[in-house]
Amino acid sequence: MIDYKINIDEAVRYMGYRGFTPGEQEKALILSCEKQLREYIEPAWVYRAFPTEQTDEGILLKGTTLTLTGEDIRSHLEGCGRCVLLCATAGAKADELIRLKEKEDLVQGYITDCLASAAVEGVCDSLEAELSKRLADKYLTWRFSPGYGDLPLDLQPKILAVLEAGKRAGVSCTGSLLMIPRKTVTAVIGISDTPIVRKKQGCAACSMKDRCTFRKAGEHCGS
Amino acid sequence: MDLKKLLNENEFVFLDGGMGTMLQAAGLEAGENPDLLSITHPELIESINLKYIEAGADIFYCNTFGANRLKLAKTGKTPAEIISAAVKIANGAKAKASRTAYCALDIGPIGQLLEPNGTMLFDEAYDIFKEMVLAADGADIIVIETMTDLLEAKAALLAAKENSDLPVMVTMTFEENMRTFTGCCIESMAMTIGGLGADAIGINCSLGPRELRPAVEKLCSCTDLPVIIKPNAGLPDPLTNEYNVLPDEFGELLADMIPLGIKIAGGCCGTTPDYIRAARKAFEGRKYQPKEFKPISAVCTASNAVYIDVPRIIGERINPTGKKRFKQALQEHDLDYICNQAIEQIDAGAEILDVNVGLPGIDEKEMMLAAVRAVQGICDTPLQLDSSIPEVLDAALRVYNGKPIINSVNGEEKSLNNILPLVKKYGAAVVGLCLDEDGIPKTIEGRVAIAEKICKRADALGIPRHDICIDCLTLTCSAEQEAAMQTIEALRICKEKLGVRTVLGVSNISFGLPQREIVNRTFLTMALTKGLDLPIMNPNIASMTSAVRAYRLLANIDKNAQEYVANYGGEIPAAAAAAVKQEDMTLGYAMSHGLKNDAAGITAKLLETTDAMDIVNNILIPELDRTGAEFEKGKIFLPQLILTAGVAQSCFEVIKEHLAKNGGGGVSKGTIVICTVKGDVHDIGKNIVKVLLENYGYTVIDLGKDVDPMLVVKTAKEHNVKLVGLSALMTTTLKGMEETIRLLRENHECKVMVGGAVLTPDYAKEIGADYYAKDAKQSCDIAKEVFGQ
Repeated sequence: MIDYKINIDEAVRYMGYRGFTPGEQEKALILSCEKQLREYIEPAWVYRAFPTEQTDEGILLKGTTLTLTGEDIRSHLEGCGRCVLLCATAGAKADELIRLKEKEDLVQGYITDCLASAAVEGVCDSLEAELSKRLADKYLTWRFSPGYGDLPLDLQPKILAVLEAGKRAGVSCTGSLLMIPRKTVTAVIGISDTPIVRKKQGCAACSMKDRCTFRKAGEHCGS
Repeated sequence: MDLKKLLNENEFVFLDGGMGTMLQAAGLEAGENPDLLSITHPELIESINLKYIEAGADIFYCNTFGANRLKLAKTGKTPAEIISAAVKIANGAKAKASRTAYCALDIGPIGQLLEPNGTMLFDEAYDIFKEMVLAADGADIIVIETMTDLLEAKAALLAAKENSDLPVMVTMTFEENMRTFTGCCIESMAMTIGGLGADAIGINCSLGPRELRPAVEKLCSCTDLPVIIKPNAGLPDPLTNEYNVLPDEFGELLADMIPLGIKIAGGCCGTTPDYIRAARKAFEGRKYQPKEFKPISAVCTASNAVYIDVPRIIGERINPTGKKRFKQALQEHDLDYICNQAIEQIDAGAEILDVNVGLPGIDEKEMMLAAVRAVQGICDTPLQLDSSIPEVLDAALRVYNGKPIINSVNGEEKSLNNILPLVKKYGAAVVGLCLDEDGIPKTIEGRVAIAEKICKRADALGIPRHDICIDCLTLTCSAEQEAAMQTIEALRICKEKLGVRTVLGVSNISFGLPQREIVNRTFLTMALTKGLDLPIMNPNIASMTSAVRAYRLLANIDKNAQEYVANYGGEIPAAAAAAVKQEDMTLGYAMSHGLKNDAAGITAKLLETTDAMDIVNNILIPELDRTGAEFEKGKIFLPQLILTAGVAQSCFEVIKEHLAKNGGGGVSKGTIVICTVKGDVHDIGKNIVKVLLENYGYTVIDLGKDVDPMLVVKTAKEHNVKLVGLSALMTTTLKGMEETIRLLRENHECKVMVGGAVLTPDYAKEIGADYYAKDAKQSCDIAKEVFGQ
């Protein structure tokens, strides 16, 4: 098992509170949902480091058939000779709980759904911390996922195949590129020998900028 | 091949090691399709097959793990091409080898998950596996491996058994918590896969031999089938993917598992011919030590095995008999209602749920399938599939995930001939009713005789006694007073004499009497003391459930009264946040404070004096309007909106129940079809919209998620619907939305509203929608506009 945190503030933002604080009653509800969700989350993950190579099409992960395409990932991995490919999930039981809760009590279903999204990010944070420790003399970029910027979502099946995420973490992908379990993240983290100038992560670079729910509400997702 | 003979002649049977590992060592890149190599590099595959045979594998796997039509989709090759090439190579290797070995058609997971975890339907999975099985000409045995989803393993096993005479071995992948990634537990795997007729079962992949030992031990205690173990070479380093157990250690660790009862051994990821050689060496001179297996009566879902070694409560509420509201739900295809009946009973203490959806005028088979899928999607309580029609049972047995009970067979020839073969084929348990062509025997002996007949016929098919649950039938006490004791006595004799389990529907006993609960409860307790295992009852009646729990306490089953105290020992929690006394509380207050039960109670009370529509129009709707307005102003947020809507929903449920009982139908403002489009399974937003629309008096036909565009069109036409609502959460599924709108435009005149995180007003217009709903509240405004009310 891995230790992970569920950032409640983050989950509350997913719930649509737009910067406001939930009232006492809702807060209690959120915390009770969190307590239950924790019993259902079974984090599973797989990651592997690959040397990278710049090609005309994009960044090739050596020893694999995977090329990360698009300008944004090129700039994300600038100066990195290697990268970590990562897949982490909150597990099938979390999905199960959300399905049950939705039927039982819609608001609890909704809250649990948002909490589970925050939870899988928490798992990723823990994995990233583990990586930083193992690669103490290296510098890591932040996590870049398919669907960010112009890194296409249709790389998803390939990423899962390269990581053997099916048997390693129980993650698969539907024909419409939806990962199952639902609360799953894949990401690319660059490894560099020299300090990385952390580029500002803003909306301008994001492919979702025109249709993002946060932006519609005058917010941003914080990444 | 004759697997039994091979197993008899050899102390142990050895399998091969990793194929992928060998291919990667030969230069296969991660992510590359290994199955294609049987066509592009046959000599490489043959050399690997041959190496494993020479290393000591008695059975080796053909290079067909992922040769299914989905994984091959982009390769231009068919499963038949790949599989026949791989089998041919394997047979070539066999011919060249210095020792005898058998080749297995290797079937791995499809790569997409079945419902409810994923979106694939059982029949589609079955079809994919069937195609593989039919292409396996020349293989000696079929192996289904690395499965994490019990239902997928079942689809593969059924496809193998129904389309081939070859022996079949099934191994699944368990993690350190002794469950697969989808939550399947070892007991459930053993009883389900064993019951379906696999020839050997086991565990492969995921962990090394050290970590898998507890899982192997558990599995050996759960089955009398030969047990297979095929672990990885330890654990991989996450960064480098290198495994940490070397061949000799691997062999020793495998041999250490001989006392657990293993019979068949090999290796998975990270293992090579050296590992198999080492294993053979470590096993030399050792004897197979089969574990004594005591069969216990049990049923299960993938993640929950329920042993019938103590009285278990079967909830009877999913049944339309005598329930107007339930009938209405069936007619409206309201699966949420059925799910809620399931949840309510489980919360009250049901351990198995009877599912009966037979009603004149509905397609029972289709309804049964929908109900089984819906209930299995939200809970892990085993089901008792209840129908008098064999085709309905057959269909439900196929898609049921786990081992169910069939309700029922009886002593009639027709029933015995139709039902028992289904019990055998699907490895289910069955309720046997003590009645036959001549009705219910009056005497104890008569009923026992029918029970014996059922048992004998089951014996002949190889159905074990512990899977038969005899129902000696409860007769109405007010009509035949002597019958109650006869039923109980017949039950006692059947249990003692026939070694079966016993089941009884208890509520019937009190029909026509006042204070039925007293009679029911006493009859239940009496039957329990004489050996009743499975009372079929209404668990929502607290005194009935508590009688079973008290019995389990008094019969020394509930050790240290743990269960009893857990259920009845706690303080009754004070009503949360109810600053207002219950009797003073208004419906509006309960709604705005999210007090579901209070609101339902107040509604019930109001209905005694107030017209239902007055409550809706004068209280519920204004309160919803007020909440909606506050939401729009940003004074409250989505969770609060849903909270109020949920409370309103519970009020409407009370009103519906009231109207159904009193014969009056509700007044609908109009019918709306909604769904999450093809390819998308995010449906929480759509569900929120549904509840709000229903609150405002619209009839909502919810087609669910991942809905085929044509189904939307068909439903819209069938019900002549004026408004259709579509939801999509992903950029990739907007295509499905666009397609649905296009087909609607071609076939049916209606308005379309769309919503979902990735949509914008502009994009909605671009794909041809009439309205963009930015949130659930707005969808209600749109409905008002379309329907003019």
